[in-house]
Amino acid sequence: MSVGGGGLLKYMGKRAVDRIAVVLSSLTLQFLLLRVLPYYVLGIDPSFFFLNPNLTEAQRELIRKQFGLDESLASQFVKYVLSLFTGNMGFSFYTRRPVFSELMERLPNTVLLLGTATVLTIIIGLIVGIIAVSKRGTRFDASIIGSSIFVSAFPLFYVGLLLLLIFGFYLRWFPIAGTISRPPPRDPVIYVADLLRHMALPLITLLITGIGGFALFIRNLFLTQLGEDYVLTARAKGLNEREVMVRHVLRNVLAPVINILALEFPGIISGAVIVETVFSWYGVGRWLFQAATQFDYPVVQAVLFIQVALTVVSLYIADLIIALIDPRVRLR
Amino acid sequence: MASINTTRIEAVKSFLSELKLHKTGLLGLGVLILYVFVAIFAPWISPVGPNETGLADSYAYPSWFSIFPGYENLPRNIILKLSYEDWHVLHQSNGLEYVEESDLSKINVKSGNVSTVKDLLLEYAFNYTFNPPKRFSGKIPFKVEINHALGSYVRIRCSIVTPKGRVYEVYDSLPIANNLTRLETPATYDARDISLKLKLGFSPHDYLGEKIFNLKGVYKLRLYISIFSVKGDGAVNVWLGVNEFRIYGMLYGILGTDNLGCDLFSNLIYGTRVSLMVGILASVISVSIGLVVGVISGYKGRIVDQILMFFTDTLLFTPILPLLIAISVFVGKNLYLEIALIALFSWMVFARNTRAYVMSIRDSMFVESARAIGAPDIYIIFRHILPQLTPIIYINLVMRVPGAILLEATLSFLNLGDPSVPSWGRMLYNARYAGAFFRFMWWWIIPPGLAITFLALAFVLLGNALDAILNPRLQVRR
Repeated sequence: MSVGGGGLLKYMGKRAVDRIAVVLSSLTLQFLLLRVLPYYVLGIDPSFFFLNPNLTEAQRELIRKQFGLDESLASQFVKYVLSLFTGNMGFSFYTRRPVFSELMERLPNTVLLLGTATVLTIIIGLIVGIIAVSKRGTRFDASIIGSSIFVSAFPLFYVGLLLLLIFGFYLRWFPIAGTISRPPPRDPVIYVADLLRHMALPLITLLITGIGGFALFIRNLFLTQLGEDYVLTARAKGLNEREVMVRHVLRNVLAPVINILALEFPGIISGAVIVETVFSWYGVGRWLFQAATQFDYPVVQAVLFIQVALTVVSLYIADLIIALIDPRVRLR
Repeated sequence: MASINTTRIEAVKSFLSELKLHKTGLLGLGVLILYVFVAIFAPWISPVGPNETGLADSYAYPSWFSIFPGYENLPRNIILKLSYEDWHVLHQSNGLEYVEESDLSKINVKSGNVSTVKDLLLEYAFNYTFNPPKRFSGKIPFKVEINHALGSYVRIRCSIVTPKGRVYEVYDSLPIANNLTRLETPATYDARDISLKLKLGFSPHDYLGEKIFNLKGVYKLRLYISIFSVKGDGAVNVWLGVNEFRIYGMLYGILGTDNLGCDLFSNLIYGTRVSLMVGILASVISVSIGLVVGVISGYKGRIVDQILMFFTDTLLFTPILPLLIAISVFVGKNLYLEIALIALFSWMVFARNTRAYVMSIRDSMFVESARAIGAPDIYIIFRHILPQLTPIIYINLVMRVPGAILLEATLSFLNLGDPSVPSWGRMLYNARYAGAFFRFMWWWIIPPGLAITFLALAFVLLGNALDAILNPRLQVRR
């Protein structure tokens, strides 16, 4: 496959500009909604919630100054955007610790839980979806469709609560909360086993709610392709079903699959909010929720920024992969 | 006009006859109708309101639990309302008059030549045959009128006599020496009152009901009114209202009670209203926004399209749930704002789909010929483009609902919903944080989630059926 390097570079460069513009506009939107709307429209002063009411006015001013809340909105915004891109995300209003170091404490846990869940969802969903489409019209296919639709109607938090009730409270197979036992086990083998035991229920929750929809998506994607003329041609050539699938359909299906995989990543933090809250998992999602309820903006904005950045980067990588495997894209 | 109406009726008829072929769609429609019925007739299905507290003891079991062994003797709600004729007079001093007077019992003592104490002892016996309850309480409405010089007083006491004859004095008014009306705001006593527990010689951690009603047999409620009248002219009058005594049951209603003694079944029934309203309103708003943006963007093209799609993409890339959480915290817990927020963050995908669809219609021959004869844009949009969009509008109106319902439930579960409105998400929030899990109260945890799921499922099934009927591209595929 000969790749026209110049065309690819130009295409990816144009894509990069688009993506960065979207990140900046999303940051602006977040700033408007989280900083401008409460303070200037609704008249809620965020510092009201974390300043001790017994402090004198001068002390309050000092603290507000420390957090940069006394500056004009425009300069706050510029500082905010710059700080996000330099990795210095400011200080939490509550713990007074750098947001970055607090984030680094929690991020591994979230990545461990949600990353495992996402990878497993994709693998199992792909397998189930492909099996379903290759046996389309059978009872197996129908039961996959039915159960996928049924499961996708369950709220994520409810699946978590049910698992918690059955396996955590009734059967006591798994711990009901937390990331690791207190105190953490010293032996590394027991430590890993303990972590996995804590991870089991949230992981199963994410898999149950994730796999159905993904498998259904894969199935329908393949199904639309199977109706195309090139499949008919391939069959007419005498290729068997397996070869049609692998050599022709799979290549055409790859682009939307990669796109949807890239879109799964923003789900990591959104999904983490619920599952980490239900299972008291020490991760970014629960932290974000707590910070939001406490008006701890540096934390909220940092986490939202990470998610937007993650989305855009993963979509950009997806663009690159798609452009590499499908030359038609870059000619558009 | 008539012809349009008849064609519409024909269209609906043919649609319904097609729907009959889709069993799952019909099932979805049936379930949906059931939910709408429940939402409309909620006050008739559940006679008690969802926010009424103290209907039974906290964490009461459902009343049908009494058929299981081990639960048949759980305390029931016992509510005694005692007026004049219910009381048995155990002792009445001479010169004390005790009569009925317009729903109240009147006690009258006229002063004589000497200062005297006159008593009235009323008793009501009832049989208690259940296990010890945790809580009981009572209300004693009364009114005291003292019509002469200083010195006279009235004292009202209430006690419970156990089958073994032990007497627990649960209420003592102490001497009342002035006119006092407590008919509207009666004197009360409650087994949860720590000072009462201490007064009766128990620990603050004991359940008073368990200590006093620990036997099965005949209990007596006694009301003891003593009147001291100084000599001279005048009289002392005491009126007694309907005396209320209640034992809080551990068995209540169809789904028991929550931590505040609210009826869980009532919450479940009334929760239907919120979910339906949020789902449908949010869907209508978000489809409207998506339609406007999609049609303008797809029809106008060029710079308008680019600006609108840039904004759409911005929202599409912004993490919705975390942002919704952050906004809900300060916007306040208002149901309509919540609906608006959910709608404002969920129109983007529909707008993008509509745009693509409108673009393909815009380039078709009939639109071009309409433009060639000089038809204005508005005319083309309403006459040629929107009619083509109706199927996908209908499908999306239905398909957007489950997402909004689940989002509302999630926000309520995170305690970001409207606290004055009963909703399934909030029931689950309460279950999580009021200890339903530690008490294994599955009847509290399971029904609300299933209600959410089946409602969402009904819309999904109906949407799929609509999709199959109205969307011709899919029909070819099958």
